[in-house]
Amino acid sequence: MLILLAAIFVLHIACIIILLTATIDNAWWVITAGNAPTDIWARWIFVNNSWHSVDLPSQYPESYLQAVQASSVLACIFSIIGIFVFVAQLFTLPKGQRFLVSGVFQFLACLCIMIAASIYTDRFHTDEQNLGSYGHCFILAWIAFALTFISSIIYFVLRKKTAE
Amino acid sequence: MLTFLALTSVVLLGIVPEQSQAIAIYTGWERHALVGSDIRLSCSFFSWRWTSEDVTFSWTYRPDGSRDSISIFHYTGGAAYVDNKGPFRDRLEFVGNPGRRDGSILLKNLELNDNGTFTCDAKNPPDIVGRPSSVRLLVFEKVPIQAGVITGAIIGVVLGLLVLIVVIYYLMRFLVARRVFSLSVSKHGKKKKEGSQQRQGPVPPADPSKIKV
Repeated sequence: MLILLAAIFVLHIACIIILLTATIDNAWWVITAGNAPTDIWARWIFVNNSWHSVDLPSQYPESYLQAVQASSVLACIFSIIGIFVFVAQLFTLPKGQRFLVSGVFQFLACLCIMIAASIYTDRFHTDEQNLGSYGHCFILAWIAFALTFISSIIYFVLRKKTAE
Repeated sequence: MLTFLALTSVVLLGIVPEQSQAIAIYTGWERHALVGSDIRLSCSFFSWRWTSEDVTFSWTYRPDGSRDSISIFHYTGGAAYVDNKGPFRDRLEFVGNPGRRDGSILLKNLELNDNGTFTCDAKNPPDIVGRPSSVRLLVFEKVPIQAGVITGAIIGVVLGLLVLIVVIYYLMRFLVARRVFSLSVSKHGKKKKEGSQQRQGPVPPADPSKIKV
């Protein structure tokens, strides 16, 4: 039982870490010319033997960019709140009850990162497919979607067995 | 504690003016404005000396992309001299109060060519050593919203809605519990009156504070 609990906790922490990396690291897309990682907050270019952070080009669809930014940040926030709620529920939930609220927060996080990743996939770099490739943050965002989904399902199914 | 603070402040005030006679000039860093609007460029200074009668303010303008500055305003000897030949003729007005160390100017009817850097230099004799301060003016057709504002607004609204939903949920629970409690109390009261006439006591109602949802 304790091992299961520890595994679920570690899974949630892993989700948080992956979500934070995907949101913060600015590497959803990598431009092959210059190996320049970019999105969703700024772009890195290698000029004069050093990396410089520059603003994203104004051709980016502004409203979609802000939607991706907002929903990926919200996914992080929901997941972080979820871990605290899970720990709280661990100590206050009566025996036999399900971890519903933690599951709800993880599910919200799953929803938000899915919104972010879907908008990004559909609306950005649609006609630049030969000019670059998807970066590690993009892949992590989709992985985070899968992991948070699994995590929320586990919370919805898990019942509290021993009184702690 | 208070006396210690008073003593240190007196000591500092006594020591510092002897060493730093520099004048510190403050303007904004960057100003945004719409085409056709008016803008007030503020300039004030800090000096350890009293404001002298020979205080001077001067503003110079350097257009974006140019290396030359042109002088557009000068206040000296109690009189203000505004630009009457340069790019700001008839559009510049002095709105400052030199007695209060304010040397602000008002630019009227801005044009797109007015993009540039405005430098304010103030002198308060004998306090004349100082670094002029610059403010950058950006004139827009349409004032842009800063990049992060909309993103932050979306996040704030969603979190606010979440908090609202949670608060409403707990409020409903509280109100429902209170209603159930008051109903059961009145029922208990009626049954008690009837029960005192009968020998058999009524079944006590469930305690609402122990009901868990």
